[in-house]
Amino acid sequence: MTLVIGALTIGLILSVLALGVYISFRIFEFPDITAEGSITLGAAVAAILLISGTNPFVATIAAFCAGMAAGALTGVLHTKFKINGLLAGILVMTALYSVNLHVMGKSNIPLLTATTFGNYAEDAARALGITGSVRLLGWEVSERDISILVAVFGAIVIMGVALDWFFRTHLGTAMRATGDNPQMIRALGVDVGAMMIFGLAVSNGLIAVSGALLAQYQGFADVQMGIGMLVWGLASVIIGEALVGVRSLGLSIVGTIMGSVLFRLLVAMALRWGLDPNDLKLITAVFVFGALVLPSLLSKLRSRKPQVVHA
Amino acid sequence: MLEVRQISKTFNPDTINEVRSLREVSLSIEDGSFVTVIGTNGSGKSTLLNAVAGTFFVDSGSIHLGGRDVTRWPEHRRASLIGRVFQNPFSGTAPSMSIAENLALAARRGRSRGFGSALGAGWMRELHDRVRVLNMGLENRLANAIGTLSGGERQALTLLMATWLRPEVLLLDEHTAALDPKSGDKVIRVSEEIIARDKLTALMVTHSMLQAATLGDRLIMMHRGRIIYDVRGAEKRRLRPADLLARFEELRRGEQLDETAAAMLKRAYI
Repeated sequence: MTLVIGALTIGLILSVLALGVYISFRIFEFPDITAEGSITLGAAVAAILLISGTNPFVATIAAFCAGMAAGALTGVLHTKFKINGLLAGILVMTALYSVNLHVMGKSNIPLLTATTFGNYAEDAARALGITGSVRLLGWEVSERDISILVAVFGAIVIMGVALDWFFRTHLGTAMRATGDNPQMIRALGVDVGAMMIFGLAVSNGLIAVSGALLAQYQGFADVQMGIGMLVWGLASVIIGEALVGVRSLGLSIVGTIMGSVLFRLLVAMALRWGLDPNDLKLITAVFVFGALVLPSLLSKLRSRKPQVVHA
Repeated sequence: MLEVRQISKTFNPDTINEVRSLREVSLSIEDGSFVTVIGTNGSGKSTLLNAVAGTFFVDSGSIHLGGRDVTRWPEHRRASLIGRVFQNPFSGTAPSMSIAENLALAARRGRSRGFGSALGAGWMRELHDRVRVLNMGLENRLANAIGTLSGGERQALTLLMATWLRPEVLLLDEHTAALDPKSGDKVIRVSEEIIARDKLTALMVTHSMLQAATLGDRLIMMHRGRIIYDVRGAEKRRLRPADLLARFEELRRGEQLDETAAAMLKRAYI
């Protein structure tokens, strides 16, 4: 049960990453690899602030701002300097590797003694009179694990609702239209470049928050933790679309969160059954490849079938 | 009031693909005038519209709109003064967003876009009433994605979007060319109605001699980057499609003459 709770918690934390990837990949159709640098940046900024005794909430907000700056930089490289989108992301990601090392001062910062959001969640649980272990569906669960899960869940709900609200405002609809039809929204007076910079900033801000929460949950920030994270986010977005479809914006947000949690659960199960952790990124990449290719392959097969009947 | 002074535009200058699309074009359109623009392929008529809209900056000359010099304004800034409908029905709307959302975007053309809700209750009522004017039943499908509509429906909505806030000038770039004749007629009727009702200043590029001759109160014909014919008033009202055809024929003959003359000179001197 601890395994399931752990998988759920990490799945929810990474769903913030997935929401960020949803903005860049689905709204702007921009595969933004800055994600791999900004998730570590978020973790690094939060970690360095936490060990100096900063409030975890403030540290997470600081991570959000740092991620926004990174995303905005990629946006500026792409829109103002006309650098190919993928390359702009690669440049910023590479630069962030050094920046992250400078922020942390070393390649790994343990947070075991620092006060994190987990401590606050635990205190809140105690204040509600929950102590020791809790029995959940017949399993013993430590109150720390369950209170962290509830806290993370609450945070994700708030972020999901905020994002849904944002995308229904004048600014948010203009952002969606920028990805959908830039020519049209330019003719309606929106600076497409500025909107893209802003969108990538929000996207990477969310991704950095995901990194900050992950560092606090795992108890360390590591300079390598961003590797493969963009593909992870893509996998979550794609699973989410398979789960709920792409009918509406609110559903897409819920689907992306569900996709991330489901994917993490599947991975946890596979690891439990003896999957070599070294193969994890390979399998994730193959999975995303399949998800990108299969739909068109299937529709091709389907359109071929009637001809077979005639022949 | 739209005033274009001596504008020139050359694409791919100093290359083998050099095209001099606009050659010192000047044009002045009074408020409330509806001008149709006609010309052969590559005559510069769409380039003229795009120059006004700010798709590119002109090489020389200046553009004034509503008393302001907009020559160096980027496209998105000029949008506060300009309503546009494109030739391609897919260009003017965001396909994955709903009709209501698309119109909400248009209702803030050139204005600030903040954190107010795009689809408030009061807005939805106003929307319903103004979409009903199109007479297409779209007011009952406001939540549908634009991508599910036909080309004609999309062009009619784009027209509504371009004129939701009164534009200083409305630019129509062959906006019925990609439609079937029936929807094309419908969109033309709606265009005429809206332009007449709101007394808009409009510039419409068309391939159709009939549209050029019968619509609007002024016609300009372009050829090789220049305005070669400009009629208005009583003369415009008398104009028939056959007159325009004759003009085109005249042009063609003129050019043929040039070619044979060149060939004669070649034979004589080389």
